[in-house]
Amino acid sequence: MRDYILKRILMFIPTVLLMSVIVFFIIQLPPGDYITSYVSRMSAEGEVFTSEDIARLREQYGLDKPWYIQYFKWMKNIITEGDFGYSFAYNRPVWTVIMSRLPLTVTVTLIIMIFTYLVSLPIGLYSALHQYSVGDFIFTGIGFLGLATPNFLLAIILMFASFKLTGDPLIGLFSEEILREGLKLSNLGSFLKHLIIPIVVIGTSNTCGVIRTIRAQMLDEITRQYVLTARAKGVSENTIIYKYCLRAALNPVVSGLAGSLSSLFSGSTISAIVMNMAILGPVLYEALKTQDMYLAGTILLTQGILVVIGTLLSDIVLAWLDPRIRYAERSS
Amino acid sequence: MVLQNVMDRNKRKEEEYYLASQWTLMRRKFKKHKLAMASLWVLGFLYFVALFGNFIAPYNLVAYNSKIVNAPPTKIHMFHEGKYIGPFVYGIKMERDPVSKRKMYIENKDEIYKIKWFTHGSEYKLFGLIKTDIHLFGVEQGGVVLLMGADSMGRDLFSRMILGSQVSLTVPFAGAIISFVLGIIIGGIAGYFGGAIDSVISRIIEVLSALPTIPLWMALSASIPPDIPVVRVYLYITIIVSFISWTGLARIVRGKFISMRKEDYIMAARIAGVSTWKIIIKHMVPGFMSYLIVSLTLGIPGMIIGETSMSFLGLGIRSPATSWGVLLQEAQEITSIAMHPWKLIPLFAVIITVLAFNFIGDGLRDAADPYK
Amino acid sequence: MDRKESIVQVNNLHINIKMDEGILTAVRGVTFHIDRGETLGLVGESGCGKSLTCKAILAINDPKCSTSGEILFNSDDGVVDILRLPPKGSEIRNIRGKQISMIFQEPMVCFSPLYTIGNQINECTRLHITKDKKKSREISIEMMKKVGIANAEKRYDQYPHEFSGGMLQRALIAMALVCNPKLLIADEPTTALDVTIQAQILELIKELQKELKMSVLFVTHDLGTVARMCDRVAVMYLGKIVETGPVEEIYLSPKHPYTIGLIGSVHKIGSKRKERLYSIEGTVPLALNLPAGCGFYDRCHCRIDGVCNVKEPEPVEVGPNHVVSCHAVGQKTGEEGHDIE
Repeated sequence: MRDYILKRILMFIPTVLLMSVIVFFIIQLPPGDYITSYVSRMSAEGEVFTSEDIARLREQYGLDKPWYIQYFKWMKNIITEGDFGYSFAYNRPVWTVIMSRLPLTVTVTLIIMIFTYLVSLPIGLYSALHQYSVGDFIFTGIGFLGLATPNFLLAIILMFASFKLTGDPLIGLFSEEILREGLKLSNLGSFLKHLIIPIVVIGTSNTCGVIRTIRAQMLDEITRQYVLTARAKGVSENTIIYKYCLRAALNPVVSGLAGSLSSLFSGSTISAIVMNMAILGPVLYEALKTQDMYLAGTILLTQGILVVIGTLLSDIVLAWLDPRIRYAERSS
Repeated sequence: MVLQNVMDRNKRKEEEYYLASQWTLMRRKFKKHKLAMASLWVLGFLYFVALFGNFIAPYNLVAYNSKIVNAPPTKIHMFHEGKYIGPFVYGIKMERDPVSKRKMYIENKDEIYKIKWFTHGSEYKLFGLIKTDIHLFGVEQGGVVLLMGADSMGRDLFSRMILGSQVSLTVPFAGAIISFVLGIIIGGIAGYFGGAIDSVISRIIEVLSALPTIPLWMALSASIPPDIPVVRVYLYITIIVSFISWTGLARIVRGKFISMRKEDYIMAARIAGVSTWKIIIKHMVPGFMSYLIVSLTLGIPGMIIGETSMSFLGLGIRSPATSWGVLLQEAQEITSIAMHPWKLIPLFAVIITVLAFNFIGDGLRDAADPYK
Repeated sequence: MDRKESIVQVNNLHINIKMDEGILTAVRGVTFHIDRGETLGLVGESGCGKSLTCKAILAINDPKCSTSGEILFNSDDGVVDILRLPPKGSEIRNIRGKQISMIFQEPMVCFSPLYTIGNQINECTRLHITKDKKKSREISIEMMKKVGIANAEKRYDQYPHEFSGGMLQRALIAMALVCNPKLLIADEPTTALDVTIQAQILELIKELQKELKMSVLFVTHDLGTVARMCDRVAVMYLGKIVETGPVEEIYLSPKHPYTIGLIGSVHKIGSKRKERLYSIEGTVPLALNLPAGCGFYDRCHCRIDGVCNVKEPEPVEVGPNHVVSCHAVGQKTGEEGHDIE
C-alpha cells in the first residue's frame, strides 16, 4: 500500500511539468499578445501609439521573445522564487490576484462537492432498490433534466424565480452586509442563502451523474453470485446491501471524484460569470479576453494541479476500498 | 414424420432466438426502449428541419427591422370579423404604455397580411448547392410573421432558431466523429504497442483530462483569430469541441486493447501470420464497437452544451452566423427574460436535443446487452 | 412428512419464470425426499431445472420466479414449509447457513473480493453460533483447517484473489459447514475444478458428511461423480423427475428411456475401442410453451403415439424404492425394460 502511494506521488511531478508546458502553449496561442489588445483598447479611447512605443512596451513586458523562452523564464521564476509572473491587467503579481480569490473558490467547490455526494448517494441507493417505482421515475426524470440544462441558464432561471418569489435575486455570493462587515458568524446565514443557487446550478450535473452511476452499479451488484452466496448463509438483506453491494458500487464513484472536481471547476466558471460570484472563474475569462498571459496560465495550471491532486487522493481511497488494486500493483 | 416436423418447429424458433446476428439483436432490443425510439424521431425531425433550414425559415440571418425590436410572437388568425379567410397576421403597431413608458406592440386590425406558401424571399443556396429564393411560407410585403418573436435588433427569432440549429446540431455531431476517430487511433496505438509510446500518450491524456473543460475551451476559443471567414471559425470550434472528448474515448480504447492483447485469439491470429493492421480492424475493434458507440452518443450532449456555452460567452460562433448559444445571449439578463420570455425558447431546443441524445445513448447501452 | 427419517420432503414443486417471450415452466411438479444421513444425487442436463430446485429449498430464487408446492423441512423448531416462510424473515435466515447450507459451482465468484476469506467465513459463525469475536474466529480457523487449508491462520486474513480455485472451494465448504448443518446442497461443486482437485474435494465432502452425520443433495451432470458419491439418484429432465432409485439400480437396470440413454452414452471400461459413443437424438427443447404430454416425446425411442404426446406419465414403482414416470414402462409393469447395447 505504501509503495503504491509513493509511486503515485512520484508520477505527480512529470505530470505537472507536462501540464505546465501544455497550458503555456495554449495560453500564448492567440495571435498577438497583451500589448495588442491593450493597444487596440487604448486606441479606441483615442491614444496614439507609434510602432516604437509598441516595441518598447513589448520589450518591457518581455513579450518579444519566442514562446519557449518565455516559458522557461516563467518556470524558472516559479521554481526558484515562487513568482508566477505579473498580471498586466491588474498591475500586480499574479499570485496576489489569485490568492485573493483562491480560498473562496476552494471553499465553495468543496461545499458543493460534499453536498453533491450527500444528496446523490441516498437517492441512487433508493432508486436502485426500488427500481421502476414512482420515486425512481421521478428522480430519474429530474436527473435527466438536470443533466440536459446548461447550468448557466439554470442559474438565470433560478435567480429569476428567486426574484419573483422572494424579491431577492441572490446575485453574487455576498450580500451587501457581508461586503460591508466581512464574513462573520452572524451573517453566515446570508452567505449560505446565497450559496443555494450555486449549489443547485453547479452541483446538478454532477449529482445526476453520480445517481445514475450508483443506480447502475447497485443493480449490477445485486445480481452477483456472492450476493446469492451471502443470502444462502443467512445474511440479512440490509447487510447485503450496505456491506457488500454499496461498497462495491462506490468503486466507480471514487474513480470519478477527480473528474467531478474538474467538472465543478468547469461548471463554476461559467456560472460564476453569470451569477457574478467572486471566485476564480470570471477572472480567468477576463484574463483570456485581454490576453493577460501569466494570470490566465497560472489559473489554468492551478485548477489542473488541484485536479491531479484530487486524482491522487481518489486513487489512494480506491486502493483502500478495493484490495484487488493493491494486489495488482504489488504483483505487476 | 410427425417427429421431424415437431423438431423442426422447435429448432427454428430456437435458432431465430439464438442465432440472430449481433446487430439484429441490438436493433430488436433498442426498439423496446420507448424513450430512445421517440428520441430518434425527435432528432430526425430536428435534423430534417436543419437540413432544409434556409427553405423553412421565412427570413435569413441578416434581415432585421428596427420597427419590431423585441416584438412578441405574432398571433396567427384564421377568422377576421367572423369570416374565414385563411391564415393571416395583422400589422404591428408600436405604442408606449402611458404608465411605465415601456414599448408595447399591439395588433393593427386595419392591416391584413395573408400567409402565403412557397413564396419568394431572400436568396440562398439549398444544401449549399442549388440557388433559389423560394421559402416554405411568408407574408405579403409590409407584414411580418414572427412565430417566436423578435430579438433586440428586430430579427425574427424563429428563422434564427432554425438557421442556428444548423450550427448547433452539426458542430457536436462532427466533433463527435472527429473525437471518435482520434480516440480510436491514439488509444489504439497506445494500447497496442504499449511501452514508452503508451507512457507518453497516457501522460498527455492524463494532463488534458485534468484541465477543466470549460476553461480549456475558453482558452482555445480565445485563440481563434478575429478576422477569419465564418466557415473557418466553424471548423475551429468543431475541432476545439472534439478536443477534449477524444481523451475519454482514447482511454477506453487503450484499456480494451490492453486487455485484448493478451487474449488467445489475438495470439492465434498473429501466429497465423495476420498483419497487425488487420488484427486491429477485424478482430479487436468489433469487440468493443458497441461500447464505443454508446460512449460516443453519450458524449454528444457534452459537446452541445460546450458549443452553446462558448457561443454564449462570445467565444464561439460569430456573426453573421448564429447558433442557439448566440441566441441565448439575449436571455442573459433577468429583466430581459421577465419582459421578453420568448427569448428562452432556444433553451428548450437545447434541452430537448440533449435529452434526446441521452435517451438514445441509454437505449444503445441497453441494446448492447441483449441477453440480459 | 411421510417418513420419520426424512429431513426434506419436496412435494409437487412448480417454478415459473415470466419472460418477454412467454412463461418459462422451468420446474413442472417435482417430488422427492432426502433421508437423514443419505446422499441424494440430482442428475440432469444443463437447463433441466436442477439449480432452481435447489435454490428453492433455501428460498433464494430470483423474485421473478413464482414458486408453488411444498418444501417440508425437519428443522430445529419442527417441520416447516419453507415456501410459506416470509423470504426475508428471520425464520428462513435461521435455517440458511445454519441448518441447510449450499455450495456452488464457481467458488471464485462466491466470495466478495472486498473482504478477507476469514471475514466472510466468520460472518457465518458470528451469525449462527456466537457473537464473541475471539471465539468465533477460533471456530472459523478450526473449520478451515478441517477442510484442509494449510496455514489457516495466515490464510484467514487473505483475500479471495490470493487463493487458488481448489482452495476457494475448500473455503466455500468450510463456510457452508462451519455451523454443522443438517443438509448440504452441493450444486455442481467440482465442475469448475481440475480433475485431481475434483477427487480431493469429493473425498473431503464424503469425509465431512460421515463425521458431521449430515445429508447431502448432490447436483451434477457427471455420472461418474454420482456413482461415487450418492446413495440414491433422481434423474431430472425438462423440469420433471423421470426416475428415482438406489444408485446401483439406476446404473445396472435403468428403466426410463432418458436414463437408459444417459447411462448408455457414458464410456464404459471394457467396451471395444472402435465403438461409437451412443448419444441421445435431438436437443433439450426450451421450456417455453411446451406441448402437452411427456417432455421427452421428441427424442424417445419407445414413445407411444396417442398416449405419450397427450398425457403426462405418472410415477410408477418398479422396484424397491425405484420409481419411474413413463407410459412405456407403466404399460409393461413386470417386464424388464430394455437396454441400448
